[in-house]
Amino acid sequence: MAEEGWEPKIVAFCCNWCSYGGADTAGMGRFQQPASTRVIRVMCSGRIDPLHVYNAFLEGADAVLVTGCHIGDCHYVNGNEKTEVKYKFLEEMLQQLGLEPDRLHLNWISASEGERFANFINEVTAKVKELGPSPLKPAGVK
Amino acid sequence: MIGNVYQTVCPGCNMGCGLYIREDEEGALAVDFMKSSPANLGKLCRFGMKLAHHYSKATSMVDGKESSVEDAVKAASDKLKGADVTMLGVGNTTNEESLAFSKVADALGTVVNTGMGVYSELPTECHPTVGVGITLDDIESAKRIALFVDPYVQYPLLVRRILAAKKNGASVVSVGWRDLHLADENKYIDPDMYESELGLDSESVIIADVHPNTDPGWVKRMLNLALKTQAKILFMKPFVNATGVDLLCKGTGQKGIPEIMEGINEGSIKTLVTLDSDPIELMPDSDAAAATLTKLDNLIVISSRYGPVNKMADIVIATEPLYAKAGSFMNVEGQLLNNSGESTTGIDAMSTLAQNLGGEALDYQGLHNNVLESIVQKFTKPNYKELACEVLDIGPMEEKKGNLIYLYNPFMWFDEPDDNDFVMVNMNTVNKLGLGKGAMIALTSDTGTVNMRYRVEDMPDGLILTAKKLPVATGWTTIVSTEAV
Amino acid sequence: MVNVGDMLVGYATDEDVRKRGASGGLVTAVLAAALEKGLVENVVVMKHINEFEAVPIITDDVDEVLASTGSLHSVPVNLAKYAMGRKVAMPAKPCDAQAVIEQAKRDMIDLDNTYIVGLNCGGSMHPVTTKKMLVAMYDIDPEDVVGEDIEKGKLIFKTKNGEEKAIAIDELEEAGYGRRESCRFCTLKIPVNADLACGNWGVIGDLAGSATFCQVMNDKGVKLLENAIDAGRIKVEPASDKAIAIRAKVNDVMVNLGSTLEEKIFPEIPDEGRIQFYMEQMADCIDCGACKEVCPVCACGEDSKCTMFHSLVDNYKMSMYHMIRLLHLTDSCIACGQCSDVCPSDIPITLLQSRFAIPAQRRREYTPGMNVDDVPPFFEVILK
Repeated sequence: MAEEGWEPKIVAFCCNWCSYGGADTAGMGRFQQPASTRVIRVMCSGRIDPLHVYNAFLEGADAVLVTGCHIGDCHYVNGNEKTEVKYKFLEEMLQQLGLEPDRLHLNWISASEGERFANFINEVTAKVKELGPSPLKPAGVK
Repeated sequence: MIGNVYQTVCPGCNMGCGLYIREDEEGALAVDFMKSSPANLGKLCRFGMKLAHHYSKATSMVDGKESSVEDAVKAASDKLKGADVTMLGVGNTTNEESLAFSKVADALGTVVNTGMGVYSELPTECHPTVGVGITLDDIESAKRIALFVDPYVQYPLLVRRILAAKKNGASVVSVGWRDLHLADENKYIDPDMYESELGLDSESVIIADVHPNTDPGWVKRMLNLALKTQAKILFMKPFVNATGVDLLCKGTGQKGIPEIMEGINEGSIKTLVTLDSDPIELMPDSDAAAATLTKLDNLIVISSRYGPVNKMADIVIATEPLYAKAGSFMNVEGQLLNNSGESTTGIDAMSTLAQNLGGEALDYQGLHNNVLESIVQKFTKPNYKELACEVLDIGPMEEKKGNLIYLYNPFMWFDEPDDNDFVMVNMNTVNKLGLGKGAMIALTSDTGTVNMRYRVEDMPDGLILTAKKLPVATGWTTIVSTEAV
Repeated sequence: MVNVGDMLVGYATDEDVRKRGASGGLVTAVLAAALEKGLVENVVVMKHINEFEAVPIITDDVDEVLASTGSLHSVPVNLAKYAMGRKVAMPAKPCDAQAVIEQAKRDMIDLDNTYIVGLNCGGSMHPVTTKKMLVAMYDIDPEDVVGEDIEKGKLIFKTKNGEEKAIAIDELEEAGYGRRESCRFCTLKIPVNADLACGNWGVIGDLAGSATFCQVMNDKGVKLLENAIDAGRIKVEPASDKAIAIRAKVNDVMVNLGSTLEEKIFPEIPDEGRIQFYMEQMADCIDCGACKEVCPVCACGEDSKCTMFHSLVDNYKMSMYHMIRLLHLTDSCIACGQCSDVCPSDIPITLLQSRFAIPAQRRREYTPGMNVDDVPPFFEVILK
């Protein structure tokens, strides 16, 4: 499907308190992960609006990951519960649109779960490599 | 009722899109959809949707001071009596006002120039076809359509007609500046290849346009193509009543706007009277046009809206906004469309002016009857005027030499601010200039530099398209040098 | 004494209004009385221009209300937006009432001060399509039409010379004419979400054609009727059981027709190529924004996410504006068809929106616009 050696572009929204820490821990723990993920730090996963996810896809992301604290652990008490609600509608909409479900993921990852973070990235990258470039990718973005 | 509702026609181009303008108690305007309107079924393009912002109020002025309409008319009469006057009315207003304007011209012993210089370069037998084209419904039944305009940007309500034609089995070939989604083929070929490469015949339709800056040679080329292939041809025009005005005013001997500006520059034209026609908005180089107008002894502006020419005028005779006027328009297919408004400030002002200059009094009903008799009788049912001329000799043509191209559209003709403040280039140009994401292109010509955002389109290398007037442009095509910033 | 739940048959006492009215002029009389007696300050009505054109106006003039009587099947307008910011009474097709209630849920309309006189609706038609249909299928000059009616599945046109011609709606729609697509799969034919539900279904016997069936839906409905009775503008009597049964039967037939046609109008899109289908459908969009302007449930105003995060300079495969609207309208789209009507590129926006909204709403057993107390699914994010 994709050219030889094509690397997907993955955008991961990470919340400042938990999943961004998890990404950090993954790095410090020297866990192997592909370099194709771009991390965008937000203060809380509840800040993430479906339009940010759309923007990422329309700008050329092959996959978008929405990550944050485990339910009950949100630094702002219930921000991630709002993320869950929004994500539900977003997922439904993109499925109806016909975007492959493996391109959008939601995952709660704590700051200490470095290995989990790395595994997650590895899994998603492998899946997306198989799927190939996103149908929404504009011209000029590889 | 609370407030007002006016049935009117969008002034964006001569498609003749019907709409409602709603005025609330406070005078705020809103656009509403008139779904039974034949040309557009109530649908509007981006320009039509923004009309609430378009109708700016004009104020009568004499020598820079606010005045009443009556005083402005009196001052104008004094200035014009016995003067050698040039008059410009491109068709941005009703048939009745345009007719009144030509009665003023009669009293002054001159003619109204429609600004479409091409007409004077074409034999009269061609005028009916250039003036009134095929009907919009006819587009839908064509078997092949050749597009010499970009419908998405320039005449958006054409898009659905072409799409309907495609549903009926038509094929579409575009000969433009960029790839069009609705075209089956996009050709970038030399004009001598049109006849052989476009596959046109008697069941085909050619859609082109004519405007004040069109080269007459180009129009002849289009007419010859229609003649040789037996295709029907439709010339879109940028002014709501361009067709009406062309029929009402004398068809030949008309000065184009560039010609008028030249006349002012060299001093042969000293007095200019305009009717809802702003040369600064209409000329491709606004600054040069403004500089030219300062050379006039007398500049008298009759206008329904505020424009840059109002500021420069010696006298401004302000009329009511277009949507409120009692009046009619004739669209590109020769359909007469009526305003529901009843205001006659413009007509009354011109009646007084005509009388002061030795002519007769004018009234709306008389003018309207005249319109019905003179032009509508000829076109009660839109009827394609088969080309009655021979193949035309094109003669020397100023070939396009610039790389910056104006994609003329309603916002551009009114020099109105819009979200289209970017240029279009193709991917090769982006790569050649090393343009990164979020970078801008600097365009430099003799008149200066401007930095523009860019959008990537499938189009020929090296071309730069703009749907917005740029200060660096000196014509519809300009040579610019480019650089990434 | 009128009570909630009453099923009545009535008509305007003014003979002229009764005659000119679609079926007895009851709705007009109720609106006129609401204005006369100060129940409301303004009334939204359709100002007739001709058989195929009318424009909504807001009036405080009783004569203008009385002049607006008569139904126009070829004027597909949605009246909800004209009720915003005022204390009005208004006539309302089921979709008009749905939009008003959706706006009320988002605090854009004060429902307590908005009196909704609902009208049964079998569907509306587009004026230009109707004119073409008159020539092609009825062999009638549109200029000669003086009235129209829908009865027993047939569309009837009356001409100047007193003649009537009827053709089955199915036949017309097979030929590509007839009702707008959004009306074909609509299953809300009696406006039970309004204050009064009025129409000519169930008006039988001597009164057929000159009286209106009226169901009182709530307290505001009671107020409207009592007000009109006090003003001496209407006469009502209880509907017979037979009439009630007939009305229910007609409704069942129309609702079933709607459900059947839904399958036809929404063919399955295969998963393979699905996103390309949507991209292709939207590809001719010219960015006019009319679909948002006309949308009667859109409560966002000029500064909204769909417009502020979308720009012409973007060279995206699908516009941000459309992607956001497809998501944001999932819980409020009522498939009124206005967006498809106004799209200058003839994109069937209603059908595209419905492909997202209908499954999402059904999954949650939520129907927008029925009751102002039904909480829209998106409000879940407030986490009460």
